[in-house]
Amino acid sequence: MVRAITALLNIEGLLVYFPYDYIYPEQYSYMLELKRTLDAKGHGVLEMPSGTGKTISLLSLIVAYQREYPLEVTKLIYCSRTVPEIEKVVEELRKLIEFYSKETGEKNNFLALALSSRKNLCVHPEVSSLRFGKEVDGKCHSLTASYIRAQRHSNPSLPSCRFYEEFDAMGKQVPLPAGVYNLDDMKDFGRRKGWCPYYLARYSILHANIIVYSYHYLLDPKIADLVSKELSKKSVVVFDEAHNIDNVCIDSMSVNITRRTLDRSQANVETLQNTILKIKETDSAKLKEEYRRLVEGLKEANVARETDIYMSNPVLPDEILQEAVPGSIRTAEHFVGFMKRFLEYLKSRLRIHHVVQESTPQFLKDIFEKVCIDRKPLRFCAERLRSLLRTLEIADIADFSAITLISNFATLVSTYSKGFTIIIEPFEDRTPTIANPVLHFSCMDPSIAIKPVFERFQSVIITSGTLSPLDIYPRILDFRPVTTASFTMTLARTCLCPLVVGRGNDQVAMTSKFETREDFAVIRNYGNLLLEMSAIVPDGIVAFFTSYTYMENIVASWYEQGILENVQRNKLIFIETPDAAETSMALEKYQEACENGRGAILLSVARGKVSEGIDFVHHFGRAVIMFGVPYVYTQSRILKARLEYLRDQFQIRENDFLTFDAMRHAAQCVGRAIRGKTDYGLMIFADKRYARADKRGKLPRWIQEHLTDSSLNLTIDETVQLSKHFLRQMAQPFKQEDQLGLSLLTLEQLQSEDMLQKIAQIAHQA
Amino acid sequence: MAALSEEVLLVVKRVRQRKQDGTLYLMAERIAWGPEGKDRFTVSHLYADIRCQKISPDGKAKIQLQLVLHTGESTNLHFSNESTALKDRDAAKDLLQQLLPKFKKRANKELEEKNRMLQEDPVLFQLYKDLVVCQVISAEEFWANRLSINNVDHSLSNNKQEVGISAAFLADIRPQTDGCNGLRYNLTSDIIESIFRTYPAVKQKYGENVPHNLTEKEFWTRFFQSHYFHRDRINTGLQDIFSECAKLDEKGLKSMVFQGVKNPMVDLLSLEDKSLEEGYGSNSTAPSTSNTNKTVKENSNSAIIKRFNHHSTMVLAAGSGKKADAPNGQACETSSTDGNSRDSDFFQPPIKKVKIQDVIEYEDLHRENGKKTVALNLKKSDRYSHGPVPLLPQQYTTSQDIVNSVNCIKHEIASYKPCLTQVMSSSTASSAIAALSPGGVLMQALAQQAINQMVPNDVQEEMKHLYTAAGELLRHFWSCFPVNTPFLEEKVVKMRSNLERFQMTKLRPFQEKVQRQYLSTNLTGHLEDMFQMAYNKFHAWQTRRMMRKT
Repeated sequence: MVRAITALLNIEGLLVYFPYDYIYPEQYSYMLELKRTLDAKGHGVLEMPSGTGKTISLLSLIVAYQREYPLEVTKLIYCSRTVPEIEKVVEELRKLIEFYSKETGEKNNFLALALSSRKNLCVHPEVSSLRFGKEVDGKCHSLTASYIRAQRHSNPSLPSCRFYEEFDAMGKQVPLPAGVYNLDDMKDFGRRKGWCPYYLARYSILHANIIVYSYHYLLDPKIADLVSKELSKKSVVVFDEAHNIDNVCIDSMSVNITRRTLDRSQANVETLQNTILKIKETDSAKLKEEYRRLVEGLKEANVARETDIYMSNPVLPDEILQEAVPGSIRTAEHFVGFMKRFLEYLKSRLRIHHVVQESTPQFLKDIFEKVCIDRKPLRFCAERLRSLLRTLEIADIADFSAITLISNFATLVSTYSKGFTIIIEPFEDRTPTIANPVLHFSCMDPSIAIKPVFERFQSVIITSGTLSPLDIYPRILDFRPVTTASFTMTLARTCLCPLVVGRGNDQVAMTSKFETREDFAVIRNYGNLLLEMSAIVPDGIVAFFTSYTYMENIVASWYEQGILENVQRNKLIFIETPDAAETSMALEKYQEACENGRGAILLSVARGKVSEGIDFVHHFGRAVIMFGVPYVYTQSRILKARLEYLRDQFQIRENDFLTFDAMRHAAQCVGRAIRGKTDYGLMIFADKRYARADKRGKLPRWIQEHLTDSSLNLTIDETVQLSKHFLRQMAQPFKQEDQLGLSLLTLEQLQSEDMLQKIAQIAHQA
Repeated sequence: MAALSEEVLLVVKRVRQRKQDGTLYLMAERIAWGPEGKDRFTVSHLYADIRCQKISPDGKAKIQLQLVLHTGESTNLHFSNESTALKDRDAAKDLLQQLLPKFKKRANKELEEKNRMLQEDPVLFQLYKDLVVCQVISAEEFWANRLSINNVDHSLSNNKQEVGISAAFLADIRPQTDGCNGLRYNLTSDIIESIFRTYPAVKQKYGENVPHNLTEKEFWTRFFQSHYFHRDRINTGLQDIFSECAKLDEKGLKSMVFQGVKNPMVDLLSLEDKSLEEGYGSNSTAPSTSNTNKTVKENSNSAIIKRFNHHSTMVLAAGSGKKADAPNGQACETSSTDGNSRDSDFFQPPIKKVKIQDVIEYEDLHRENGKKTVALNLKKSDRYSHGPVPLLPQQYTTSQDIVNSVNCIKHEIASYKPCLTQVMSSSTASSAIAALSPGGVLMQALAQQAINQMVPNDVQEEMKHLYTAAGELLRHFWSCFPVNTPFLEEKVVKMRSNLERFQMTKLRPFQEKVQRQYLSTNLTGHLEDMFQMAYNKFHAWQTRRMMRKT
C-alpha cells in the first residue's frame, strides 16, 4: 500500500533508503545533522540515546550519500569498540544492503567487510586453536614473515601456512566479490577458497566501500601505520561509542616499564648479541648488506611486507624522520651496545626511593649527561631494531616484545617534547613496603594520537549515547566540529525513571565520598536500598560500585551484617570479579536467572568490562543502581599530571574534568538498562551529590530531562514508593499504536510541516 | 490399665499436664498420659496424628514439651521432677524424634488412595487378592502401573514439578546464641535437602562419614564449625573434613569457567578486539605482583565474592538443571559441540547469529504483519510427508533364494513318485471324509452354549478371575519389551518367574479340578498358549542376550 511510495526518505534533497516501515523522529533529525556535516566536509559530534537506532540511521544516510556522490565520499570507515559491536554493525549493514537490492531491483555492488585481529579471523587449524591473541599473532608471524618465506625457498621442509600461501599466490588477482562480509563470512569465504581471511580482509579494505573495525586500527600508530595507511582521504570516519575515545588515544601512546621488562630486555639483548656473533661467523655478508641499506636511508618501508606487523613505528607517520640511520647505531654490534647502555641507564633510574616526575626534555638532558646518549639515535631505535630483527631472521618475534617496548619508548620519548610526562614510582601506593619500581611514560594529550585522523579524513563523526557535555570532546581532542548536537529520546511513555537517593530512612546522607565511605551508617543504608529494591523490582537488577576495592569492602560488610542473606530471599546474587572468564560465567548465569523468573542481582563496577560492554535489555535490567559517584582514583600521579596538563593547555579546570569523567561513566552505567523505546528501567543514583547542579548538568540530555526536582534527594522509602508506582505503570501493555505519531512516525507523517518543525527541536545544538 | 497388651517404650513419672501431676507413657503406636492415681489415660495421641514436637528453650525455668497435632491442637507437658526434669524431657524428646518420622511416612495419602481404588473397583480388588495376596507379584509392582494408568489426574501430581531451592536457605538456619558461649543452629530436613542439592560435595562427605564415622549431629556440628561454612575465613585447617569440599567446589567452578559461556554477547574474553600489549597503556598494574601483596582481608573478601557466585550458580543449577537443557535444542546442540571450544566454530554461528539478530532488531519500527505462528518442529520431515512406513522384516529372501527354491520344488515335483504303500486305506479315508462332511462327527456344532451349559457357574467365575489375573501378569510381562534398560531387564526376569509361579499355584490346581470333573474339555488351553507364547518370547530374548554377551 503506502509502502512502495514511501520507501525513500527525503533528507534535504538526499534520497535515503531506510529498511523499516516506521522511523523514530530523532533518527530523522540525526540523519539531517549528519548530512549537513558531510555536506560541509567537516567533523561532527552527535549524541543520541542508545536504543534509538543510531547505527542504522548512520549507515542508511552514509550509504545513500556514497551512492549519490560517489566522488565526494568514497569510503566509510566505521570504528567500534568491541567485537560483538562490530558484528552487530555489519549485520545491520547487511539488512540495509539487502533492502537496497530488494527495493531497487539492482544487484548490489557494495563491498562491506569487518576486520578484526588474527584471533578472530584465523582459519589455520593449529594457529586458530591458540587461546590468546598474542599467541595467535606470534604463531602466524612465525609461519608467514617475509624472511621465513624466503628461507623456505632454500629449505622447503619449513612449516608454512597454506592459507597465506594460497592468498599470496591467487588472492590479490581478483577483488573480493561485492557483498557484506562479517567476521564469520570472511572465515567461510577464506575456508572455501583456501585463502587467509585475515590478509584477505586487510588487502580488501583498500577497495571496500565500507570497513568496520576497531578503534585501534586507526588510533594506535603501531597498527594504523600498517593497516590503515593507504585508505583514501575522501573517507568518512565514524567513531561509535566514542565516549571513551580520549582514553583509547592515550593508551595507544603510553608505555610502562617495570623491572621485569628490563630483565627480559636484557635477555633479549644477550640473544641478539649471540645471534650477531653467530651470523658474523657464517654469513657476514648479510650484516654488511644491512649496513649498506641503512646508509642509503630508510627505503625499508617499501620492502617491508604486510606480514611483519610486529615491528612498526610507535610514532605518528608524519613524525618519522626521512633520514638515514645515524652512524653511531648503524652496525649491528654498535646498536646492541647502544641498547645495553640505554638499558643500564633505565635500570639506574628505577633504583630510586622516592617518586620522580619529569618532562621529556629533562629526561633527554639527563640521559645525555649520564650516559652520553644523544636524542637522534634514540629516535631511530624502533626503526633500527626492526631492521636488525629482520636481518637476523628471528622467527619468534613474540619473545622480543620487551626489547621492542624499550625501543618504542626510546623513539617516543625522543620524538615528542610536549604532551608527555615521565613518572618513576618506586612502589605502589597501596603497598609502600614492597619495592616495585615502575617508569610510566604517559601521554597526557589525547589529541596527539587522533590528530592525523582529523587531518587526513574529510569527515570524522564522533557519536555515542553519552557524550555530555558536548563541548568538552572538541576541546580535549583539539578539533573544530561543524556540528555538535544532542538528541533526546521522544517517548510516548516515560520509560526511564531516574531517581537520586540522597538519604537513608534515618536521614543519614548517602554518599561514597572518601571521608564517609567507610561509615557504617552509609554502608547499611546502601544495603537497605538494595534490599528494598530487590523486593519490588521484577527480574534483573544491576548495581554498580565506584571501584572494585570499594565493592569488595561493601560486600564483605553486607555479608557480616546479614544484608545479603536477606537480599537472597528475593533474588540470586552474582558479583563481578577481576577475572574476565569468571565474570562471563556469572553474567550468563545472571541472565539465566532473569530468564527463568527467579530474578537476580548483578553487583558490578563502573569502568569495568561489564559497564562498558554488556547491555541489559528488557528484563535483564529493570533497575540500575549506581552506588556513589564513580570518580577516578584521584591520587594517581599520572592523573594529576594529566589534569595539570589539561588546565594549562586547554583551560579545563581539574574539577570540571573529574566530574565530567565521573558522570560519563555513571551515565554509561545507568544507560545500560534502557536499550530502546519498548524497554523500561529505573535509574537510581545513590549519592546525594548527584542532586547538585554541576553533576546533574553533566548527564546526557535524554536522562536529564526526566530528572525533575521532585526526584532529587529522596529517602529510601520515597524511592521505593516512586519505583513501585513507575513499575506498575510500565507493566501495562504498550502497543505500537500508542507510539505512533509521537515517538514513531510513518513516512507520510514525516512529510507534514508541523512534524518537521517538532523534529527540528529534537536536535539540541550545544 | 486400658491397654496393657501394648508395648511400653518409656515411662516418665511426675509429668504435669494442666497443672495435674501424672505419668507419661510412650508406647509403640501412641503417646499417653494419665493423672496420678487413676488407671486411665486422659491424654492419648497416636504418633501418626502428631505433626511435631516443640521444647522449651534451655534457659527456661519450666521444662516443657509441646505436641502439636495435625488438627492444630496442642498439648503441653511439663516435666516437674526437679532433679531429673531435663533428662526426662530429653529422653522423651529423643524417643519421639525417632518415632515420629516412621509414622509420618505411614500415614500418607497414597495409601488412602489405593484403598479407595480397591474399594471402588471389585475387579481390581479381586486381582489384588489373586496377585498380591497370594504373593505372585509384590504390591509395588501391582500399583506401579495401576496408579499412573487408572487415574490421569493423579499422574499429574505424581511427577510433579521439582521445587527449586530458596537462595537464602543458609540464612534460614539463623544461629541463635544459647547464652553460654554456644550457638544453636536449626536444621530442618528441607534445609538439609537444599544443602545437599546445592553442595554435592557435602552430600558426598555425608555419605562417606555418616553414620560410621560420625553421628548425624556431629556431622552437622562440624559442618557449621568448618571454614567451609564460614567462607570469609581463609580455609587453612587441614583436619577439617570439609576443606576438601571447598577444593571440590573450586574445581567445579574452574571447570565451569573453563567451559566458557555459550552466549557470545556476554563473553567478556572475546569482547576486546585488540588488547594493548603488555607494557603499553596508561594504567597497567602488573598482574603478577598483585596476588602476593594482597592482604588477608582482601583475600577473604574475594573469597566471599567467589562464594556468592558459586552459591547462586549452584542454586540455579539445582533448580533448573535437568529441565533447562532438554527443551531447547539449541542449547543441547552447542553444549555438545562446545567441548573443543575453538574448533567448533563451524557450529557456533547459528546461535551467535540469532543473538545478534535479536539485538539489532527494532520490533516497533516494523509494521506488525500478521500473527506470529508457531514453528512446526519436525524431527524427521520425511515421516511427516510420507506417513509411517511399515517396518521391513529383518529377514527377507533375496531373489536368488526364491529362484533357488523354485528350482528345488520343480526338481522335487519332476521326480515325484507316489508312495502307494503308505496311503490310507479307502475305508478310513471315507470315514474321515464323512466325519468332516456336514453332519459328520467332527462338524457337529459344538457351540459356546454347550460349554456354557457344561461348565458350572463357579468354575466359570474362577476361570474369569484366572483370565484377568493372567492378563494382568502378561500385560506386565509384555510391557517390558523392548528391553532397553537394566531396570526392565530385571523386571522381565521377575515377571517370568511370576508367570511360572502363577501357573503353578493357580492354573495347575484349576486344571486338576477341571480334569477331575470334566475330563474331556480343555478349558485352559488358550491360557496355556498365552503363557507358552510369553515363555518363548522370553527364551528368545534371553538367548539373544547371551549371544550378545559372549
